[in-house]
Amino acid sequence: MSGLRDRLNRLRGTPEPAAPRSEPPAPTQTERPALPAGFGAIGVGLEENEAGPFLLRRIAYPLPYHHGKHELGELLARAGSLLPIAERQNGSSGPIDPYRLLFLDTETTGLGVGAGNVPFMVGFGYYAASAFIVEQALIRHPGEERAMLTYLLDRMKDKTHIVSYNGRTFDWPVLANRFILNGWRKSGQSPGHLDFLHPSRALWRKTLPSCRLGTVEEARLGVRREDDVPGSLAPTLYFQFLSDGHPEHLHGVYAHNEKDILTLASLAVHFGRLLDGEGDEEAILESEELFRTAAWLEQHGLTEVAERLFERLAEREEAGEAGWSLPLAARYKKAGRFERALPLWRKFAETAEGAAAPAVEAHIELAMHYEHRDKQLLTALTYAERALELAVRRGILARDKVKRDAERAALQHRIARLRDKVSRERK
Amino acid sequence: MNPYTQKAESVDEWLELLRSKRELMDNVTFWHTEPAKPARTAELPVTVHPKLAGALGSKGITQLYTHQAASFREVSAGRHVVTVTPTASGKTLCYNLPVVQRLLEDDSARALYLFPTKALAQDQVAELQELANLMEADIKTHTYDGDTPPTVRQAIRNAGHIVVTNPDMLHSAILPHHTKWVKLFENIKYIVIDELHAYRGVFGSHVANVIRRLKRICRFYGSDPQFLCASATIRNPREHAERLIGETVSLVDDNGAPTGEKHMVFYNPPVVNKQLGIRRSSVLESQKLAALLLKSGIQTIVFARSRVRVEILLTYLQETVKHELGSKTIRGYRGGYLPKLRREIERGLRSGEIRGVVSTNALELGIDIGQLQACVLNGYPGTIASTWQQSGRAGRRQTSSVTFLVASSNPLDQYLIQNPDYFLGRPPEEARIHPDNLLILLDHLKCAAYELPFEEGDTFGGEKLTDLLEFLAEEKVLHKVGTRWYWMEQAFPAHNISLRSAAQENFVIIDQTEGHRVIGEVDRFSAPTLIHEEAIYLHEGVQYQVEKLDYPEKKAYVREVNVDYFTDASMAVELKVLHVDLEATTGALHRQFGEVTVMAKPTIFKKIRLRTHENIGSGPIHLPEEILHTSGYWFSFSEEESAKRSANDMQMALLGLANVLIHLAPLHLMCDPLDIRVVPQVKATHTKQPTIYFYDRYPGGIGLSQRLYEKHGELLEEAERLIRGCGCLSGCPACVGPIEEVGLLGKELAMSLLQGMKA
Repeated sequence: MSGLRDRLNRLRGTPEPAAPRSEPPAPTQTERPALPAGFGAIGVGLEENEAGPFLLRRIAYPLPYHHGKHELGELLARAGSLLPIAERQNGSSGPIDPYRLLFLDTETTGLGVGAGNVPFMVGFGYYAASAFIVEQALIRHPGEERAMLTYLLDRMKDKTHIVSYNGRTFDWPVLANRFILNGWRKSGQSPGHLDFLHPSRALWRKTLPSCRLGTVEEARLGVRREDDVPGSLAPTLYFQFLSDGHPEHLHGVYAHNEKDILTLASLAVHFGRLLDGEGDEEAILESEELFRTAAWLEQHGLTEVAERLFERLAEREEAGEAGWSLPLAARYKKAGRFERALPLWRKFAETAEGAAAPAVEAHIELAMHYEHRDKQLLTALTYAERALELAVRRGILARDKVKRDAERAALQHRIARLRDKVSRERK
Repeated sequence: MNPYTQKAESVDEWLELLRSKRELMDNVTFWHTEPAKPARTAELPVTVHPKLAGALGSKGITQLYTHQAASFREVSAGRHVVTVTPTASGKTLCYNLPVVQRLLEDDSARALYLFPTKALAQDQVAELQELANLMEADIKTHTYDGDTPPTVRQAIRNAGHIVVTNPDMLHSAILPHHTKWVKLFENIKYIVIDELHAYRGVFGSHVANVIRRLKRICRFYGSDPQFLCASATIRNPREHAERLIGETVSLVDDNGAPTGEKHMVFYNPPVVNKQLGIRRSSVLESQKLAALLLKSGIQTIVFARSRVRVEILLTYLQETVKHELGSKTIRGYRGGYLPKLRREIERGLRSGEIRGVVSTNALELGIDIGQLQACVLNGYPGTIASTWQQSGRAGRRQTSSVTFLVASSNPLDQYLIQNPDYFLGRPPEEARIHPDNLLILLDHLKCAAYELPFEEGDTFGGEKLTDLLEFLAEEKVLHKVGTRWYWMEQAFPAHNISLRSAAQENFVIIDQTEGHRVIGEVDRFSAPTLIHEEAIYLHEGVQYQVEKLDYPEKKAYVREVNVDYFTDASMAVELKVLHVDLEATTGALHRQFGEVTVMAKPTIFKKIRLRTHENIGSGPIHLPEEILHTSGYWFSFSEEESAKRSANDMQMALLGLANVLIHLAPLHLMCDPLDIRVVPQVKATHTKQPTIYFYDRYPGGIGLSQRLYEKHGELLEEAERLIRGCGCLSGCPACVGPIEEVGLLGKELAMSLLQGMKA
């Protein structure tokens, strides 16, 4: 052994250790007696099934419990409203029954969804008769994985959807790997997903510094965490536990995971309210977010609520200047409501005239409108010519030369056609 | 010869013309004609599926060549097979036939194809798809590599019958994510490995470990695939295949494909200074022959040893024939050209639009460029196997072809050109790999543990697995529970491990003559000598000067220039022995094998005038030192022996001997001449004696030095033969080196040293 060590060290160029290392006490796997006190202190106990032992912590939250501004129990009445999200994410979906949702969040030893990334803690939450239950399964070493997965499968049996944050592309595929590695093959239907990362991005991508769960909960759900251990530290803490066996390393990870599960429930209430048309829209201060909320509601079939929000937007002071003006105008154009679209375009075009790198889309829209609908060819021509001037001005900064040239060619074509029409009209 | 166009009707006619040219024929030292060979065929086996037989029939294939039939028979018998045949002998059918047959019989079956490069993979998919279309069979063949769009990846994973990929992709994308490939791994029947000879040295050692991982995963999913391998001619195809895949393999080497007449012409540039043993430049002579061929309308490939040579030859040739052909019809081809440009050149060669190509060994592999008529080798390619393979680029089934070997003045070239029997009589070299190189093995052990836990009693290569796993557990990479070792680290190990030495660390070359444009890349090892600041970098025949080398960011900024010189850099090397594993004494000579540390630092570069090749200036290179821990072999001379001569004489003798040995060593090893290095030291730190060191240029070593240690006696005998046989007076570039380097007595001193140690 020492010969091999010497060879390896020499090849690496690292100095040979002066003294033999002390062997770390490996957590033994067959010990049945009492768990270290550090586990009991936070309510972790030993659980066992036909595949062996693992650790489980179980906390029941009374339904009136507030996590941030929302009450956990509120979801019982609102879960059904999440159906449009489920349909959008899964293609189709049966009705949403709050008692058949599994809120899921895993802590893993690495990043990515490769075969070697091990979920060492699987936290999940579900609604029971009079409480919201959070359960956290932990493996003391990889040998206990099978027992933990067996337990998870059992908990999933009567559930229709997994509620998660990025679980569709991370937590679930990682778990699916583990099932395959343990020799299970997919049988029956995979669970549906309610992955709240997607709606969160749709609503807050532009207005929050990030769409990480911690940012979202603090900014929009009123959740404040004290002394939170960041999720990125979880693997390191687990490795420390593996090497010295002290459960205290994991206390922070337990707390973090538990809060994540509660936030999932709170987020579910939040989206449920929005989809019920009872979201607190007045609290949405930024127009960008208001626009995104309206568009999101519209996508999920809530046209009336969406319409109300769009109307409010169109009346706002900065309408016509901001990034959302063009999509809003496009929406009105599609609906044939030019009395709404035109002022937005005009305002946008006006702003563009003064910009260093002007966008010409509004000019083009106006040129099209005056050429084809209003039949004011001269106005159309003026807008088209201005658009070309602006495009040339912006062209100096443009990166994509192909796109730039195509845009210019299209404008030149439009101008030529309009001039032709104007001169024919004059004759 | 057409008197108006100066075009030759055929290679035969052109060769007649050559024979009439005294000034060229004087330099031809040897002319070997390999007669045309008729086809030897066998009936299509009756077991071949009617659809497959029909499709082959519509391509005009009603019979098989003997090697194709033999390979089908061996595969049907359930054996692992390696097929060895030259270029253009229909070898793909050797594996496609059994694979397609199986897929027709069983729709759930799967096959995995491995090619060393993406370009080869694409060629293969096109061929298989054509076959599937002809059969009107639903056989889905897909490439799966870095260029595969994410949107279709899932479909390929679930439904692709044949997945065509490369070892790098298998290593970093497929194996670590094997749980997404359940369909493939549960049903995999065949693994095809083409261009087997390319997997040698460091790369081959890595690939052997990737295959160990692949087999481990197949076992996990309950499958036990057959390996169908194909290789160019090497001496030990069966042994190489067996080492690479770790299984017993049957060899099929009875080539039944027809070939036209082949001429192999050895050409030694004339001596221009008899006393100094200086010959005319092989570059200029190669250019002359190639120009003569091209002007006569003969499609020609020119192989050169280095990228710089390729560019120099390309410049000369484009210049010479621009009036007859236009410079766009003569192209360069080498690593460092971007893929799009390479595909364009390959297409041009197939269509015949491109009449000539100057290439490094990049075109040695089976990339489809059709068959050319003539081949000019500028310098001996380093191995007999490579020589045949490069020469195989010229040669059609029906008509004659010619290959010129233009010798350079280095000792190996001169040795070969003067001993043609050595070349023709000797079987091609062995391909060697060293999959149990400790560092390589350890790297793949990590990847393997990431993929599946290890169980006590598992095997993986030759080292004692338990020791290695314990080591990784102590390093806190693995975690042992009971009898199992589990991966327990945040990292994704495959990302930090590249199968090709330093391949992931390419330097990009940015031309800032006009804006910023990436024109090529250079690997890390070559960077210090090719793109140091002030170096002249040649790309597609255009000269660029390196203005700034951003070493940490791996970028070289160049600007187009027009100068009449190129640059050549030197390295200073320091060497330290860490550990001695083997030793032996014979006569006055003590030899050892063990671990060494090498510190290399580029020092200066020389400016060398084009065409005359005179030294016209130099400058310093400021770059960090590279440190390498590897294995080495060295021999030193006894006190008595060194006492016989002055330190200066000893220096010259050692240098002369080292010059000879470094050229002979790759011959024995079938390795790239750059993989093994030599350093002579008059008073070595380790032995305190005059010593010559050899070392493997790869961390941990890849078995090259060890092999030389074993073949020590043979190596020295050959060195003696070479020096004795050289016609020069007192040393020349073809033996111990020019007298400017080894002094007037260099040859004599080296000779006496060799003889002294036998005493």
